[in-house]
Amino acid sequence: MTGVGTAFKVSSEFIAGIAVGVGIGWVIDRWAGTSPWGLIVFLMLGFGAAVLNVLRSVGRVAEFGQGGKPPPDSGQ
Amino acid sequence: MAADKVDPIHQFQLHPIIPIHIGGLDLSFTNSGLFMAVVVIVASAFLYFATSNRALIPSRLQSLAEMAYEFIAKMLRDSAGTQGMKFFPLVFSLFMFVLVANLLGLFPYFFTVTSHIIVTFALAILVIGTVIVYGFMKHGFKFLKLFVPHGIPMVLLPLVVAIEIISFLSRPISLSVRLFANMLAGHITLKVFSGFVVSLSAFGFVGVAGAVLPLAMAVALTALEFLVAFLQAYVFAVLTCMYLNDALHPGH
Repeated sequence: MTGVGTAFKVSSEFIAGIAVGVGIGWVIDRWAGTSPWGLIVFLMLGFGAAVLNVLRSVGRVAEFGQGGKPPPDSGQ
Repeated sequence: MAADKVDPIHQFQLHPIIPIHIGGLDLSFTNSGLFMAVVVIVASAFLYFATSNRALIPSRLQSLAEMAYEFIAKMLRDSAGTQGMKFFPLVFSLFMFVLVANLLGLFPYFFTVTSHIIVTFALAILVIGTVIVYGFMKHGFKFLKLFVPHGIPMVLLPLVVAIEIISFLSRPISLSVRLFANMLAGHITLKVFSGFVVSLSAFGFVGVAGAVLPLAMAVALTALEFLVAFLQAYVFAVLTCMYLNDALHPGH
């Protein structure tokens, strides 16, 4: 894969995680009127998910539901 | 109109071709819709003509279609197993649609369907929707084991499950953002460098001599864009296969 391809891959994974976290937090705040706590909590969780996405996309963490060890062909 | 020539964003504008307004909704048939139809027609025509004169020793066109089939079939078998082959029509259609849309977009004056995030997002939602619906249909509530990694201490479980769910929900976004951003960025860069050629050549001899550099860059970028067009269709198909694998075998 080209360098720019890897950059797009990793950055899109990262942005997506944070975007979903912010989205969930914002919706919860709107519905439950808990502003700004939903946004704060889910931004943090989204950040965690974003880092997890990035590590998964470069093969440093096990895939969904597999737990324990990373896939055998990791760490290129 | 003169500004349009160097405006790198202008190429992504939607124009209604056949205006249709129903109940306050703008359902016009746009240039995007036209090119989606063209993509479907081109992809179908290619496969139809490639397989109409089937021979044991394939013609060039037929071997191209066979290569496309083998390529996707192998990808699906490798990542989702033989059971995954029931999703072959879905993955193959998505791959052909994205590939043909990306490649058609490289023609000058053609509209790139995949450079709009709503189009790629619709494709990604189709994939994730299939994964969720099939996963629950096949495994029922066991499908939720996908979000619970093995060997996690009970104390950490709520946190980890929340993060895993957000990570799962972010998949359609990363899938669509990646395809859309690649196509958008590629086409803007191409347009900017081509714009340099036009603007520089207005400055007499020195300008024309200087315009050779961005022209060379534009040529090189066009080659790169062909690679990206293929690569992004490939990436989209590979990730579709991986996500379908989660629906087939959650928590293995």
